[in-house]
Amino acid sequence: MTIARRHMLGWGGGLIAAISLSGRDVWAQEVVEIRMQGRADGSHVWFDPIGVLIKPGQTVRWINLNPGNSHTTTAYHPANFGRPLRIPEAAKSWASDYLLPDESFSVIFTKQGVYDYYCIPHEHAGMVGRIIVGKPESHGGWMEPVTASRGLPDEALEAFPTVEEIMAKRIVRQV
Amino acid sequence: MKKLLLVSALTLSGSLCAMAAQEVAKSPPAAPYQQVSKLVKLPDFLPGMGQLFVDPATLPAGPFLAYDHDGRLVSTIYMLPTKDLNPDKSFADLAAPGGNVDHVDVYYNAGHPGVEEPHVHVVLWHVTAADEASVAK
Repeated sequence: MTIARRHMLGWGGGLIAAISLSGRDVWAQEVVEIRMQGRADGSHVWFDPIGVLIKPGQTVRWINLNPGNSHTTTAYHPANFGRPLRIPEAAKSWASDYLLPDESFSVIFTKQGVYDYYCIPHEHAGMVGRIIVGKPESHGGWMEPVTASRGLPDEALEAFPTVEEIMAKRIVRQV
Repeated sequence: MKKLLLVSALTLSGSLCAMAAQEVAKSPPAAPYQQVSKLVKLPDFLPGMGQLFVDPATLPAGPFLAYDHDGRLVSTIYMLPTKDLNPDKSFADLAAPGGNVDHVDVYYNAGHPGVEEPHVHVVLWHVTAADEASVAK
C-alpha cells in the first residue's frame, strides 16, 4: 500500500469526478472518493460510502465536506494509538490527522484484503468505514483481522457493513 | 438598615454581572479565554455557532463564548458529555458571563475535536431567534 498525503484546500471541485451510485463505476474509476459528512448541528456524522470494493492499485481519496467539523481517516492498526489490527498484516497503516473542511487525504491500496478505519473524534458516534481490496481467497484467513474488536465501541462495531454486502454491491451507502 | 444593605448588595451584584457581560460582549474576550480553533483543529467559524472561545481549564463543559462575524457575542454554550449525565455526576456553578439570555437551545452533538465524545449542547442565546442568522454561515 502506498500513502499519498494531500492536504490541499479547495481541491475538491472538479479534478476528480465524485463517486457515483453505481458499483460498476466504482470498479472502473481509478480514484474512489469517500466523503466525510455531517448534519449542520453536528448531531450525526458519517463516511459516504461506508463500504466499498476496489481493485488492487486503486486510490481512495477521503474529503471533508462537513463545513462545521473536522474528521480523520485512521486505520485500525497498532501503529495508531495501539488500536487492534483490522487491516491485512502485510499492509501499511495510515492516519490522515485532522482534516478541516475541503481538505483531503489519499491512500493507494495494493494488498488484497479487508481494511477497517475510523474517525478519531467520532468513533463513538459510529463513524467508521470498510474497504475491501480485490477478491481475497475464501480460505486464506483474510477475514481474521476484522474479528479483532478489542476496545472498539459498540457503536463502531454495529456500523460496519458486512463483507458479504460489500462484495455483493461493491458500494454500500449509509445515507 | 438591613434592607439598605440588601439593596446595595443586589445593586453591586448586578453591576458586577453587567461588567462581566461588558468584558465578553465583543470578541476577543480577555484571558483566560482562548480561541478554540487555535487550541484544536476545527474551522475558525462554525456554521450555526460562530467563532468560539473557551477557558481550557473548563473543558469539556465550558462555557464556550460564541461570536458572529462582527465580533458580537451571540451565545454562551455548554457541552455536556452524555456519559456524564448520570446519577453520580452533575455540572454545578458553571460560569455564565454573557449576561441576558433571550432563549435556550438544547441538542445532541456527535462530537468534535476538543470534546471527542457524544455530548449535549446547551446554548444560551443572547440574541433573538431571528438574529441567529448572523452565525448561520
